[in-house]
Amino acid sequence: MNEALSIMLWPLVACLLLPGILVYLGLHIVRREIIFVDLALAQVAALGICLAILLGHDSHDWQTTAWSAAFTMVGAAVLTLTRRGGRGIPQEALIGIVYIVAAAGSFLLLSRSPEGNEELRRTLVGEVLLVRPGEVLRTFALFVIVGAVHVVFRRQFRMLSYDPERGRSEGLRMWWWDFLFYVLFGAVITSFVRIGGVLLVFSYLIIPAVCANIFATSLKSQIAAGWAIATLAGIGGLYASYRLDLPTGAAIVCALGVALLVTGLVKAVVSRIGR
Amino acid sequence: MIVISLCLSSLAGESRLNVIATTEDFGAIAREIGGDKVAVTVLAQPAEDAHFVTPKPSYIVKLARADVLVEGGAELEIGWLPPLLDGARNPKLALGQPGHVACAEGLALLEVPHTADRCRGDIHAMGNPHYMTDPVNARYVAQRICEGFTAVDPSNSKEYLKCFNSFTNRLDEKITAWQKQLEPFRGQRIVAFHNSWPYLAARFGLKIDLFLEPKSGIPPSPAHLADVVAAMKAEKVGVIIVEPHQNRKIAATVAARTGAQVVYLTQFPGGVKGSEGGYLNLMDYLVSSLADALGKTGNGRE
Repeated sequence: MNEALSIMLWPLVACLLLPGILVYLGLHIVRREIIFVDLALAQVAALGICLAILLGHDSHDWQTTAWSAAFTMVGAAVLTLTRRGGRGIPQEALIGIVYIVAAAGSFLLLSRSPEGNEELRRTLVGEVLLVRPGEVLRTFALFVIVGAVHVVFRRQFRMLSYDPERGRSEGLRMWWWDFLFYVLFGAVITSFVRIGGVLLVFSYLIIPAVCANIFATSLKSQIAAGWAIATLAGIGGLYASYRLDLPTGAAIVCALGVALLVTGLVKAVVSRIGR
Repeated sequence: MIVISLCLSSLAGESRLNVIATTEDFGAIAREIGGDKVAVTVLAQPAEDAHFVTPKPSYIVKLARADVLVEGGAELEIGWLPPLLDGARNPKLALGQPGHVACAEGLALLEVPHTADRCRGDIHAMGNPHYMTDPVNARYVAQRICEGFTAVDPSNSKEYLKCFNSFTNRLDEKITAWQKQLEPFRGQRIVAFHNSWPYLAARFGLKIDLFLEPKSGIPPSPAHLADVVAAMKAEKVGVIIVEPHQNRKIAATVAARTGAQVVYLTQFPGGVKGSEGGYLNLMDYLVSSLADALGKTGNGRE
């Protein structure tokens, strides 16, 4: 067991510290019904990483982070401008297009790079198992800052997602808060994609939020439920990865999927008994 | 044979040297040298691309428990081995320790770049890392492994030396036979998917210098394939080498347009059916497959 702990220690620390903010942001995303915005932004961030690699930077260089962050900012701006969509064009469609084009763009860029295949796989499933301690701590520091901004402006952000009508009637500058939301969201995603990959980011954002919506109604209880599920599934996924010798990121994604299934079943049973 | 050695390994238990090899070619030679004094585990699957191996927790566990690591030492495993070693934190396997056998150390590698420039494809600053397809290099690797085992486990040094001598005697005999087998095809040109075969080509006088990849590690593009097809037709090149992890469809398309035949080869024992029996068996398989294929093209000086 000691050996297991020493090997899985940093992945475990990453899974305990980092998903907290993803779960919280996921609740916003699910409420706004822009589920695929994270996939799109994560893929845009990955596109920036791919370009940096093609320019000869290593995936751990600061230039790579800069490229990735710059791409994410542009993505955030595009998403802000298209928040209301066009006539007859839902924003979800535009989000889907951003995702697909960014994914195809990554593919094109990496076809010119000798490490292309490996990088493509890494942007998808990440390298949770080999995460570096410094990377976890830096990412956590960033998440604390983002979390702090969200706590300070909790009233505005809450209105933005949960009660936009009231926000508008109170004269809130919606586009500004939207942009700020996407920028912070992008920063979180950019840094987590490099550890966990696109699949894990999407799972941590959406699955706990959906589970929480099944059971809880108030934002506070939803956050608590989401955190509990993310933590349990993270530990379960790491354990399965170690015991059954599976790639770690994909194991956590599947564990989150199982968590949703169990939550759904429990809810079905409970509501049947309740009737 | 394998079954017997597996049974022996479970009987002998603790006292045996715990050896990890990155790829099956080094693993096979480590088994030859170590005999029943070592237990060898190989990390990469033989049919896997040894440039890219998906890290799994068990790899770190195995490295953490190992007494000896046998790796290529020519950056073939650079994408995945260093972070696994970081995770395993095994002082016995630290660079420079006798337990860390970097096989290519002291070996003259081919295609050493003048400048490390990514634009030329896969960056192997130390030279082409696929050196084990030259059996003379395998002899050197056997010696490196023998020295490594002896340094870590001096009490069995006589055994290791005995196994080394036995292996190299068989190898030397085989090298003569292989050279004879490929002699009729000296100077012939062969196409390969990836630049994995310069050592084999140099040893046996073949020309394996046309690749389906435009640059090392970069997937084939339509324009480049058209060039390859034209070159193959002009020179009547009749054989394309493909490895298990490479795209067979592309090779088959090129073969259909040129009338060439596709030969499935592997650098690693067990990578294709018929090559499972260790290093000598692998080389037997490589040499006879190539001799067969080249014989059928009718260009040989029979």
